[in-house]
Amino acid sequence: MIRFVAKRLALMPLLLWGIVTIAFLLSHAVADNPLASIVGERNLGNPDIVRAATERWGLDKSLPEQYFLYIANLLQGDMGTSFRTKAPVGSDLADRLPATLELAAMALVFAIVIGTLLGVLAARMRGRIVDSVVRVLALLGSSLPVFWVGLIFLFIFYASLGVAAGPGRLSARVIPPPDATGFYTVDALLAGDWPLFVDAFGHLLMPALIMSLALLGTVIRIVRSQMLEEQGSDYARTARAKGMTRGQVLNRHVLRNAITPVITIVGVSVGLLIMGAVLIETIFSWNGIGTYAVESSRALDFPAITGVCLVGGCIFLVANLVTDIAYAVVDPRVRLS
Amino acid sequence: MSPIPLRRARKSRVVARAAAAMAVAIGLAACSSAAPATQERTGIILGRAMDVTTLDISRSLCDTCQIYNAAVYESLLHATPEGELEPLLAEKWEANADNTQFTFTLRADAVFSDGSPVEAKDVVWSWERLKNLAGSPSYFMAGITKVEAPDARTVVATSELPNSAFFNIVSAGYTGIINSDVAAENGATADANAASSDQAEQWFLSNSAGSGQYVLDSYAEGSQLVLKANDKYWGEKPNFTDVTIKEVTDSSAQLQQLQQGDIDVAMQLSFDALGQIENAPNLTTEVVPSPNFVYIALSPGKAGGEALQDPRVREAVRKAIDYTSVIDATVAGNGEKQATGVPNGFEGTEGLPLPEYDPEGAKALLAEAGHGGGLTLQAVFPTFTIYGVNFATMMQSIQQSLGGVGIQLDLQPLEYQAWADRLGEGIPVTAVYFAPDHPDSIQYFQYFGLIEGSVWAERAGVPVNPQQQQLAVAALSQTGAERTASYTELAKLMYNDAIILPVVNPQYLLASSADVTGNNLDITRNLDLTRIKFNAG
Repeated sequence: MIRFVAKRLALMPLLLWGIVTIAFLLSHAVADNPLASIVGERNLGNPDIVRAATERWGLDKSLPEQYFLYIANLLQGDMGTSFRTKAPVGSDLADRLPATLELAAMALVFAIVIGTLLGVLAARMRGRIVDSVVRVLALLGSSLPVFWVGLIFLFIFYASLGVAAGPGRLSARVIPPPDATGFYTVDALLAGDWPLFVDAFGHLLMPALIMSLALLGTVIRIVRSQMLEEQGSDYARTARAKGMTRGQVLNRHVLRNAITPVITIVGVSVGLLIMGAVLIETIFSWNGIGTYAVESSRALDFPAITGVCLVGGCIFLVANLVTDIAYAVVDPRVRLS
Repeated sequence: MSPIPLRRARKSRVVARAAAAMAVAIGLAACSSAAPATQERTGIILGRAMDVTTLDISRSLCDTCQIYNAAVYESLLHATPEGELEPLLAEKWEANADNTQFTFTLRADAVFSDGSPVEAKDVVWSWERLKNLAGSPSYFMAGITKVEAPDARTVVATSELPNSAFFNIVSAGYTGIINSDVAAENGATADANAASSDQAEQWFLSNSAGSGQYVLDSYAEGSQLVLKANDKYWGEKPNFTDVTIKEVTDSSAQLQQLQQGDIDVAMQLSFDALGQIENAPNLTTEVVPSPNFVYIALSPGKAGGEALQDPRVREAVRKAIDYTSVIDATVAGNGEKQATGVPNGFEGTEGLPLPEYDPEGAKALLAEAGHGGGLTLQAVFPTFTIYGVNFATMMQSIQQSLGGVGIQLDLQPLEYQAWADRLGEGIPVTAVYFAPDHPDSIQYFQYFGLIEGSVWAERAGVPVNPQQQQLAVAALSQTGAERTASYTELAKLMYNDAIILPVVNPQYLLASSADVTGNNLDITRNLDLTRIKFNAG
């Protein structure tokens, strides 16, 4: 296992270099010029302002020069300065990433816990009304557009009924916790501020639930079908023959085997959840990496775009590695090599 | 029983407890009335789509920057809502006879937020830095050759050419004064090579160095900008202990948050929202005029615009637009027509004819110009909404109007960057917006008129008009009624050019919680924080 992990970690820099190179080239392949977002439309006709901006942001350099300069700086831990925010890209990402990770983590918890519970319930109640309801829920979760559900939920539960927290990570006039991890729920607990934790957690609920819907539907369907398949296997029949109840067989034997494909799906989905958070983040004013990526792309903010791709690449690579390891832990037949 | 089932039974209990704890936490989060540590109601929360790209006053140019700059820094003069100048950091100001030298006397009691006095050297440094950075607002110092400080309270600025608009120009927040000692300690410089050697922009993202009512508390890009009262402020006490500008990107989200009390002021509500809130007892709304406008620009001198070289065709375009329909379609009728590229009410606009929808007149002009069979024009425009005007909606409405007289508009919506790139090449018909920086009309003539250095003379590919050039130069050496007469003549000539055709001068919807008074739209400050306050405050 250790050799496997070491090999995969050793390959990462090479893969990340490839990701950075492709991201750099693709973002520069766009025919448009970022100067309009730097100096503003009104100043595009002012040669002094345009010249100063071009020189300042290195846009007067050739593409190979820009690339090698970027890589040289990156090797020293410098991801460049954002044209748009004027802050170091590394610092922008460090500010934004915890917000997205907190949201994605909660969405994952929802998808795994609720999805598994409902999947098991549907399998146990196969053919009954509960099974049908759960299957419809799974279908809706997978098919409803996230932005539509988000807007509708906000309108109903926040704007009309006033029972849910509104957009943003905290309520108005609430002071954020001292920054330790960037996860407001964790930081609030670390600060021993229970009301602040409740507020942060309340704001997390609705966006995380909606973010989890697509994955939730998938988990329900996989768990249900796997449970039904495993129920009919020899080992399950043997366990029943040895006197275990149906529930004991399902919970102690069948569920463990049925859960293995869920790990694969969840592993693949982690990266997609994080990098696809833009719609939820936009609707819920969640200042995460998704909105940063979109705003940077719209402004043709090359350093920020490349930085986001680099971080996204890291997330995907780590998620895949963790998935492989989890697979081996859950299923002892799997040998990592 | 084997030990394995026992362990699993324990695991099951642990899982059950964890699930129960999670359910309790969720319930608590949803239902808890426990109040976290909150800012007091003495602070105001403004909801708006922030367009901030920097907090360095000498590099900034945006609507939100106007609010920030005016709150944290102070200019030498202040323009009242009526457009009159009043003292701010300067208590006296005067120009020489030919309007090339401007002398300001600073007030003695003004101090920066660190308690040090505002001195003439700070003004010299700030204005030199503004010019030498060659950042977005550097054009405010265009033509200024020298800024001197003969003593600690006197500033003398010298202009290469007469510039009677200079006092109005320095009422803009972008010309605010920075504490030069503090900024220089943190990498700022005003040297001639400041464009490449200044290193302070990142420092300004988390620090401020002004003499205004507020100081920067924190800034989280894409989230919020928080100001707190400057406890060393030299003048009248600020109305709020803190001001939060919260990023709320669209009108519907601003509406929801205003209704729920999460923001006190919604700054960019569309007029669709007016019907939902105008009778709400906990909210206050008011529709006020604005100096902003949206226009279409014609480029007769650029490829594809050849038909527009005939002034009769440009006049026909003006007559063919059904302004009332466009204003209805874009801002639900809450807008005004505007004669030319100078907003209604600005110096020089009195007596200008407003454009009228006259399809028959347009057809006749087209026939006279040899286009009785119709013509096709390419219209490339950015796909955004500004001041409540959705450009796609506006251009579709204009397309329909022009189609009625035989002018086919080939609409090509583009993302902002792509559109801006095309501007340099020249676009036969495009749509743009303008918001003023200060109360002087010269900014419009210099930007839209057919004079030397004008952005739109260049973009439209039209030569300088000697009469306009002469009038613009003359106006800047004049004051009072004489200058008004020159501006009026310039505005008439710009109207006759029919290069810039304002389509809608949208009104502005002020919306706030009912306990807020003095909500406003200010020319130089966008929102003047000295006028807005809580009823009880």
